[in-house]
Amino acid sequence: MTTTSPDASSVPLALEGLSVAYGERPAVQQLSLTVQPGEIYGLLGSNGAGKTSTIKAIVGLVCPVAGEIRVFGLDALRDGLAAKARIGYVPETSMLYEALTPREFLEFVASVRRMDATTATRRMQSYAEAFRLEGEIEEPIATLSNGTRQKVLIIAALLHAPPLLVLDEPLNSLDPRSVRIMKDVLLRYVASGGRGVLFSTHTMEVAEQLCQRVGILDRGVLRGEGTLATLRERVAAGDASLEEIFLRLTEEDVGVRAAVDSLGDPSV
Amino acid sequence: MSWREAIRLSNVAFAELSLQAVYAFRQGNVLPPGRSKNLVARSQRRVLQSKLVISAVLALLTLGAAAILHQKALNPEILASVPVGLFQSAILTGLLSLDIALLWWTGVQVIPTLISSGVLPVLEPLPIDPRTFRRVATILYLRLFDLPALTIIILTPIAVGIALGPLAGLVALPGVFVSVVYALALSLLTGRFFLRRVQGSRGGGGRAVVRWAYLVLWLVPAFAMFAFITAAPAFFRALGGLAAQGPSVSSALLAAAFPFSFAALPEIVAGGTSSIAILSPTIDLVLGVAAALYLALAVWSVVWLARSVRTLLFLPVQAPLGLPTTSSALRPMGRARAVLVKDLRIASRTPGYAFLILLPILDAGALGLLTYSTPAQNPVAASLALGAVTTAALLATFFGPAFFAIEVVAYSYGRSLPLSNRSVILGKVALICLMYLVASALIVGFTLLRFFQPFTFVAFVLVELPAVLGAAFLELGLLFRWARRRGLAITNLYAGAWFAVLVSIPGLIMAGLPPLLFDLARPSGVDFGLGIMALVAVAELALAAPVALGRGAS
Repeated sequence: MTTTSPDASSVPLALEGLSVAYGERPAVQQLSLTVQPGEIYGLLGSNGAGKTSTIKAIVGLVCPVAGEIRVFGLDALRDGLAAKARIGYVPETSMLYEALTPREFLEFVASVRRMDATTATRRMQSYAEAFRLEGEIEEPIATLSNGTRQKVLIIAALLHAPPLLVLDEPLNSLDPRSVRIMKDVLLRYVASGGRGVLFSTHTMEVAEQLCQRVGILDRGVLRGEGTLATLRERVAAGDASLEEIFLRLTEEDVGVRAAVDSLGDPSV
Repeated sequence: MSWREAIRLSNVAFAELSLQAVYAFRQGNVLPPGRSKNLVARSQRRVLQSKLVISAVLALLTLGAAAILHQKALNPEILASVPVGLFQSAILTGLLSLDIALLWWTGVQVIPTLISSGVLPVLEPLPIDPRTFRRVATILYLRLFDLPALTIIILTPIAVGIALGPLAGLVALPGVFVSVVYALALSLLTGRFFLRRVQGSRGGGGRAVVRWAYLVLWLVPAFAMFAFITAAPAFFRALGGLAAQGPSVSSALLAAAFPFSFAALPEIVAGGTSSIAILSPTIDLVLGVAAALYLALAVWSVVWLARSVRTLLFLPVQAPLGLPTTSSALRPMGRARAVLVKDLRIASRTPGYAFLILLPILDAGALGLLTYSTPAQNPVAASLALGAVTTAALLATFFGPAFFAIEVVAYSYGRSLPLSNRSVILGKVALICLMYLVASALIVGFTLLRFFQPFTFVAFVLVELPAVLGAAFLELGLLFRWARRRGLAITNLYAGAWFAVLVSIPGLIMAGLPPLLFDLARPSGVDFGLGIMALVAVAELALAAPVALGRGAS
């Protein structure tokens, strides 16, 4: 098992010079960022900016072409299983074993995560109750709506109370009630100390409400990083919203205006 | 919109279907590393290859039947009791039945992918008129079967024509058409049945048993082939009896049965009604009316297919209402066992996987029954039982690697879990061994009722176990190394299953070698044979296990 200094071992996630490519096409280039203990870090970016590729590299779904990934000091590329044991992951698309029921799926996840029956059952039941999933816990996943599948994935990610949550657009397809529950769960989750959350989204309001710091990805490159205040300073706009900051950092503000102007009257 | 537009849209939909069948992105597979270019073209090539393989099997069957029709003298024993015309009609009946079984089985394997790929719902929001939409759905459905169906439609009349004359070949055409239509309709019916009764079924225990029972029904088409081949001698004996009896109620029933009513037509054209021996003017009428009714049903089926395909592709999987929910407690288990239990649960709702588990077991049951029915004095009876155990080992070894495909489903989630390849491989190996042991237990159970030699039979099963383990380790180890590199989903017939077949070859050799050595060494004593067998089986396991559990694989 590879570990670094004691300080590094308390840092939930550290990426250093991470690059991901699909064949000749680069998806993420030289990305470095850190998720500190007690922090929700928002990874923002347009479609295709490299958010999902970054997250897939962290959870071991794609192999980076360069760089380092450390999860609580563990080298995730060398010691993938130990790193994965510390991560709870919600993928962007709700891909599950369609032929299993949520209970069977969660039982499989609990088995892989070597949980004891009492804790696993207690946590599953309380999350299922919170997300109003009790009635569907024995239905085949193939019969469930997208929102319900997303809830199953969220429960699977939280089941073992991991010290690091890696969430790829986790609020997609959720109803407003579940979105609110999820936001509160995340805030309480990091408040308990030592834990971290990496949260990808392209919804600026959600990032503004939840994240202590954000990183703005554009075509695989980190254009800016920091708290809302530091980003405002950087773009020299005292009261700018995160959306305006995002557009300025990605140099899309002029492009957006030009695009809208070129569309003209939509009814014509 | 025109047919041309429907064909253009179906091309787009079929490209997506091929992509999903091969790479299973909608089921959670991830983009293959470094191979993102030309994915669609590559997947279409793989689908074409798979269709060509199925078509080749059908062509071989047709040519085989043609050879039997042509070389009547090859079967002097049967022809002594069965008139030539009746024999040839029976061969054609068998060929048409096998064609239906293979096409139906193809549909059974592919339809769940067609539905889960969701290719047609993507087109739904577009302003396409309902008639064009129906046409697109029908064309898409027909394209699943195009090459295999064309092989049957073209080759069968030619084969009959060469054997019995050009006019007989032409007369075979309605029977071929009706058989293909029935296979397509059966595929659609069973596809709907699968969605409603199997995939949407919940819970374990008794309901899991019911699901497995449904899935046994699903195996009927595959077993039709097996049953036809094994039951052929009895069938011909019965035909001999019918021929000796002359026209009777039984022969009228045979004339009215599908596909005999069509299979007899070429022979009637070629040799007249007398060549079949069981016909009379009344039975001729029965045969003609039955054929006309079957033809009418086929025409109606074509209309029904065109109307129903669209609903199948949009059919949501629905759980039955009103069933009580079971306890929602979680019972975590060891990782390898969790993989095994997950695979069994998935298989209980997925015909393709259930088929792989049930076939060796049902085959063992059939062979076990055969052993039981063999006279106790028969010197080959014991060999028959040991051969049956070997068959169970070979079947489990041959089908086992296909369970690897389950890991490709939900790949983007599964790979994020702290689950080593080693645990996954151990789970799959346990499943293969379970299949072998259950099948062997059935055979040994039947055998011991007849020949009480517990040591020989039980020892044979146990001594073969390390060879089955070794074969399973080798196959899965090779598969893991290969598939992780290429990012392919081996989810169904159309998904490039050739590599799973390829790795089965060394596996089959490993599983087959110890019984072969036992057979060679047996003249020096059963104990000696078992000893040699044990030695080789354990050596194979020792050689193969590192392929799966060594550093490179995990």
